[in-house]
Formats: sequence, structure tokens, C-alpha cells
Amino acid sequence: MVEALHLATGPALAMAEAMAALVPVIGTDRLRLRAPKLEDYPAYEAVFVSDRAVYMGGPFTTEEAFCDFAQGVAGWMLRGAGMWTVTLPGSDAALGWVYLWYEFGDPEPEIGWVLVPEAEGRGYALEAAQAVLPRALAQFGPGRVVSYIDAGNDRSARIARALGAARDLSAEAARGEADLHIYRYHGQKEAT
Amino acid sequence: MSGTLTTDRLVLRMPEEADWPFYRAYRLGARSTLPVEMRNDAVAREHFDGFAAHWAWRGFGRFIMVDRATGEPIGHVGPFEPEGHPEREITWTLWSAAHEGKGYAFEGARAARDHVFRDLGWTTAVSYIVPDNARSQRLAERLGAVLDRQAASPYAPPGLVYRHVAGGASHG
Repeated sequence: MVEALHLATGPALAMAEAMAALVPVIGTDRLRLRAPKLEDYPAYEAVFVSDRAVYMGGPFTTEEAFCDFAQGVAGWMLRGAGMWTVTLPGSDAALGWVYLWYEFGDPEPEIGWVLVPEAEGRGYALEAAQAVLPRALAQFGPGRVVSYIDAGNDRSARIARALGAARDLSAEAARGEADLHIYRYHGQKEAT
Repeated sequence: MSGTLTTDRLVLRMPEEADWPFYRAYRLGARSTLPVEMRNDAVAREHFDGFAAHWAWRGFGRFIMVDRATGEPIGHVGPFEPEGHPEREITWTLWSAAHEGKGYAFEGARAARDHVFRDLGWTTAVSYIVPDNARSQRLAERLGAVLDRQAASPYAPPGLVYRHVAGGASHG
């Protein structure tokens, strides 16, 4: 499916562009968050079929990866929240993805992030998530957005804490999945 | 071009979250022809999200058919171009037997067929129909589509491929 992506052309292109405009472009000091495009999918699939996805319910099959990507796109139209592709300004190559979405089956909206391997170790995930956090708090309210993070995913847990989130043990107990930590954003603490 | 079409009795519009319970009921119900391992919430939701993602990527997609009299979403219809299929397709599906036999699928499919040729500039499209779905075959024929025995099918077994042509008849 990766080798034959059909991109919008002709009269449909304007509609595709109007749909992409549902996604706010966000700039940070070093990054640009933009609407996900089908051209981003090969990089997305590469991450989610790899062991990098082990803390995100993966590794996925290619079909599962595609459905996950589609969910991140569809959310903008259906629920007013979804996924951004993270790039450098002046480049269109996907460095990763940051999410403010309702993943199917989850009771609460979530902030999430994932990077391609080459983009790791530079603080990009924190910087991208930091840019999404004020929007999340404004859209859903303080205390009404979380990150679901697998126990053992220390890197993501550090990012959530740096964003001011703290584990919500009662929500974790209610969820009843021993290996799933729920970090809640109250928006009281400035991210560093 | 807009994302809405109107017919005598239907509004065809892009999917909305409020359609999900209706689509879910169809997908989990006995009416769905999908194999039993695909009749669950997660797969149904993936397909529902797929309607919206298709619109975002392609700039066109399946419409939700809404009964203008009741406001109820009753099915999906329209152009479909998944990765890996040999041709673009026009599909039609009613979500409940209660809406069958009233010409809704034909009314929606005719509007969708006109839309792809008029608004999207397509010159041809197909509909893949399983051999035992006589109702859909009749509908395709009423739209002026003809059996194309040379056309490739993405399915195994291939089933029937009906071809729509711009300016085709519609025996309403």
C-alpha cells in the first residue's frame, strides 16, 4: 500500500485542501506542526510496524498502522481533535506526530507523541507536545486531558512530567490495566 | 464543489460523529455481510474513521445519506478509492432493512454517480457487486451501468464488475 499512494488531484484537490485547513498549523521555536498528509504515511508505517511501537500497542501490522493513521486524520473532521505531523520549518519530511485526540475506546482525550528514530534525543517530542498543551486545556478544560503511557515507557513518562502532568492513580484503578499509567494535565504548572 | 448533495428525499453529506451509533448498529447487526471476525466495535470504528480520512486525503468520499423527513442517517453512498484497488468505485449501502424497497439507495447512488462525472470530472467508474446481491445488480442496471467482464476486480472471488459511464442512462 505504501508504493501506490493516490494523491488528490483536479477538482478534488481544493476539497482536500479545505479539509487540511481544519487542522491548525502551529509553529514552535524549532518545529512546525501541520495537517497529516498521505505522503507522511510511509514514515508512519515504518515507525508503527517496528519495535518503537511496543509501548503504543504495537508493533502493528501494516493494516493496523494504516487504520491508526486514518484515525488521526479522521478525528479532525469527526471530533475536532486529531493528529499533527511534526516537521522542521522549511522541510516537509515527517519527524514524528503529536496527537490531541480521542482514540477509539479511550474514555478521555489524550495528548500523545511519537518520533521517527532519527529525530530522537533533541527534545522535539516535548517541544511539540508543549505547543499542543494550551490548546488541549482550552478545548477540553484543565484536568480533562490525559496521556496514556505504558509502564516502562520512561522517556514518555519524563515528557508528561515535564509538561506538568501527574499520574492519576484513581483513574488507573478505574481503568484496571496494571501496565497502563494515566498522566493527567491540570495546567497548573508551567512546562519546562 | 461542496461536500453536500441534495435529492428529493435525501441529503448526502460528509460523515459526522453523530452518525456513528447508526453505522455501528448496522455493522454489528445481522445485515452486515462481513465475516464474523470483522463484526466488532474496533473494526467498525476503523471503517467509520476511514470514511472521514478518505475525504481528507482524496478530497472526495462516501456521503452519509440522511432522510430529509426524519434527519436520520440511513446509509452511505458515493465515490470510493482505497489504496490497492484497480479502479475508482461508486458504492451504495443502506444500514437498515427498514429503508429498503423505497428507492433510497437508487436515489442516493444516482446523485453520487452524477456528482463524480459532473463535479469530480471522472470519465468512468465501477461498482463491485457479489453475484448473490441481485438487488444491487438491478440498481446498477437502473443507473445505466453495464457488466464489464474484462475489468479487474480487487476481490477473490472477483464477483461482478458493473461499469458506469458519463452520460449513462438512468431508468428512474
